[in-house]
Order: sequence, then C-alpha cells, then structure tokens
Amino acid sequence: MRRGLAAAALALAALAAPQAHAGAQTAGEWLQRMSDSLATLNYDGLFTHTAGQQSETMRIVHRVDGGRSMERLVSLDGSGREIVRTAEEVHFYMPDRRVVLVEPRTDDGSLLRALPAPGPKLDELYTLEVRKGSKLLGRDVKVLDIRPRDAYRYGYRLWLDEETAMPLRSEVVNGEGKAVEAMHFTRLEVRDRITPRELEPAVDATGYQWVRAGKRGEPRAANAYWRPRKVPPGFRLVATRLQIVPGVPVPVQHLIFSDGFASVSVFIEPGTAKGPAPPESTSVGSSNAFSTQVRGHVVTAIGEVPAATVRDLATSVAPVEEMAAPAKPSTEPTDR
Amino acid sequence: MTDQIREQMSALLDGELPRDQVGLLVRRMSRDAELKRTFGNYVLAGESLRAPGGVMASPGFAARVSAAIDEGEVAGSAVPTVPARSPARWRRPLAATAVAASAALAAVLLVRPDGGEPQLFAERSGAPESPLVVTLPVGGSSPTPGQNQRLAGYLVVHGQYATPISRRAVWSNALATDPGVARVTYENAEAP
Repeated sequence: MRRGLAAAALALAALAAPQAHAGAQTAGEWLQRMSDSLATLNYDGLFTHTAGQQSETMRIVHRVDGGRSMERLVSLDGSGREIVRTAEEVHFYMPDRRVVLVEPRTDDGSLLRALPAPGPKLDELYTLEVRKGSKLLGRDVKVLDIRPRDAYRYGYRLWLDEETAMPLRSEVVNGEGKAVEAMHFTRLEVRDRITPRELEPAVDATGYQWVRAGKRGEPRAANAYWRPRKVPPGFRLVATRLQIVPGVPVPVQHLIFSDGFASVSVFIEPGTAKGPAPPESTSVGSSNAFSTQVRGHVVTAIGEVPAATVRDLATSVAPVEEMAAPAKPSTEPTDR
Repeated sequence: MTDQIREQMSALLDGELPRDQVGLLVRRMSRDAELKRTFGNYVLAGESLRAPGGVMASPGFAARVSAAIDEGEVAGSAVPTVPARSPARWRRPLAATAVAASAALAAVLLVRPDGGEPQLFAERSGAPESPLVVTLPVGGSSPTPGQNQRLAGYLVVHGQYATPISRRAVWSNALATDPGVARVTYENAEAP
C-alpha cells in the first residue's frame, strides 16, 4: 500500500518516561542513550516505514522481562506479515505465502559481544552531531546526525525524544544527505509493562508450513573456511558461524562484518543457484544484497549499506581450502 | 554477441566510449533486440550498484520503457540543453537510460522507475543536429517465491546481528507488502 507520510495522522497516546536517563550532552552519549532505551524500555507504537515510493504502516510492541527483550513487528497494510522475537526464537509469519520461518534467537552468546558498540572508533568513519529539533508528537527532541565520511556506508538522522531518547523518527540517508528509508512514529506509548499476550501474533498460522532450521552440522555445509581477501574501509570481520537459514535447505557459512554501526552478513551456500544465474543485485529499502557464484557456492552479501559495499564483500570472499570448518565465533581482524 | 560489443556497451555506460564509436554502437543496438535487452540489463544492474539505496522499479516499468520504444521517441529540437554533466552523473538517480547519440550530440533519455515523466538531457559537443534516439528496454527477471523466501530468511537472520535501530529497518523491509525488489541478472555467470 502506498501512503504518504503527510497523510499519517500524528497522535500521541501517552509517552511516559519511566526510565529517564541522566542528561546526555554529546552526540555519542545520545546515541548510547538511544541504544539503551530501545533495548530496555517497554513500548508500543505505530510508525510509517517509507522506502522509495512505498510506505507502510507498522506496529511495534517491545517487552522486557528479566533483562530479555522481546518484540513483535507487524505490517498493518495488506500482507499482515509479522515478526515475533520471543525469548528463544524469531518467528516470521508470512500469511501471503502461508509460511512461518523460524530462526533460533542468537543474541546472548559471545557472538553479539563481539559486535563493536558505538564508541570512539565511530569517529573515524562517521561525524556525529546533535542539535535541538522542532517538536515531534508534542515532544521536545534532539536531532542526531550521523554522517558517513565515505561512500561505503549510509548515514542516519535521528529525532530523539529528549526525555526517553527513543527515536520518534529516523532516516537512513545516502552520501548526498537524501533519505533512502524513513521510519516515523505516529503514536508511541512507553509503558511500565507490556503483557506477554500483546506479543502474540494476530495471524492464525493453522495449516501454515513451518520452515524451521534443520539439524545443525549437516554434511552438505560449505566445507571450508571462507574469508575475505579485502574488506571495505572501516569494516572488520567480527564473527563467523555455520548458520541454518530458514528456507535454505543446507547449512551456510555466515560471515558478519561491522563498522560499529552498520553491519553486513555474507552467506555462503553450497551448490549452484536456482533460477536466474548470479551475479545479481537486489534492493529492499536501505537493505542491499548482492549474490554471486564462487567455486560452486552461491555467495550472498546483505546489509543496510550501499549496494557497492555488499558487492565488494560478496566478490571478495574465497574459501581457505586446507582448513577444516568448525563453526566458531571469531574476532580476528581481516586482511584489509 | 562478441566480447568487443560487451566492452563497448560497458564503456558507453562508463562514459568512456570514444565519441566516434557511440553513434555506431547505438545504431547497432537499435537494430538488434538481444543487444538492446542486454544493454538494458547492464543499465539497471549498473544503477543498482551505483544508486544509493539501489533501484526499485515499479510494476510496469519495463512495459513503459518498451512503450517508449514503440512510440519512437525522437528528441530533435525539443532536446533541452542542460549543464554538462558526466554520463555517470546523469544515470545516478534513475533506473533506465536511453541513449541518443550522433557524432556531435549525445542525449540521454531517463525513464523514471516510479512512473514519473521521462526526462531528456543533452550534452552538446558541436553543431546541433538531430540526434538518433534509441530507447533501451530493461531486462531482468522476477524472483521466484523460493528466492523471495530465501531473501526473507537472510533478512531475518541478518537482522539479529544488526544494531537495534537497523534491525527494525531490516525487518520492516522483510515485512513490506510489496518489497519492490528490483532483481538484476548479469549476462556473465561468474563474478570476477
């Protein structure tokens, strides 16, 4: 459904500040406050998600219980698709295909700790500025501009509620400062408590095909280490693992790259491509993907970075034949 | 199709084809459907790689381009002159490029992927003359349900390793009713 942002009615139901942080001053502190709020507050909101000429209304419900965050993201326009992130799994309901993709949740191991947090390193790649903004939803906001210093990454423009640091509006911007994707809350409630029932999907998945990750360590996994010959400036390989991807019949090598803010996943799937022969480029909002064939494998890089960045990473990886392929997290730097 | 033709098309897209070869190549493409299709693929592929955020071609985009071909677009004296810009600059925000060229005048017809009015730019390099205008269809193929499901699976997995604000964007894209996927396939099977 196409819908302009201007048509979206702004209605703030309530916006409490149960966990107001100490006042942030610098852009980096505001960025950290925002990250903390997104992970630790209970909230329920409606936002419009706009990419290109397409705009959809989404609902997000975020619940924290015992330090674990769970959330439900729902498309309210048309498809009724939902993603529910429970304590153990991520469920992707696709009623338009009568399919549910199920992926084990993987945010509490060493892997995530290997991901760099916003910090001084970011200054080498981005400029961060914070300024006073006009009111949004009747709230005072700070505008946080995160501008890339080169063309390998996107920038972000964030309108943060001064009291809670929740992003009421966010834009992913290209090197020319133009938004390639935007999310704009039209209603946001920060609550003391979200009930488990509010995370239940509206979809009746009876009779749907449930596509789950199979047994790990199946024999047709990519049978070698894969490493990049070169990575775009500022990115580094932060983790590798053997990944079961819902909808993909065999285990794939999964390499995760990050510059501290943006991340790119590279999936290496054994076998030749079905359908159109790669290389091919795919774009969905600010998420770009590039697939190519390397040594009998389909290599797909995907991330919220410009198309050239995923292309460079996808075409850079190669197998290290003589090494076995234990699936373990890795934090070693790449050969850039 | 020879490698030489491929190289010429690539050079044309990069703005590096010698001016005296441009008209020849364009005329050849205007007579050869396969060359037009291939060039269309190159154009859209190039845009996907270059354009920030990639290209999202709306439904019917290829049909509109084809219709433009059928209408026999000719720029003639209606070609507006714009400040000289590199061909790469012309192509950057748009998804399809139609090349018009002669020895003295190169014009570029830009067809908007969102259904907007086509724009026609020209770069004059000598005495004006009526350019030959050729519109080139965009190729590519629609992803199958299986491919879409695979992409959705990748998005779900990748979202788990993104920052919270990025995860919301990644997963919102996976939820989109019509993801607006523009899938582009190169003619060459193997990447460098």
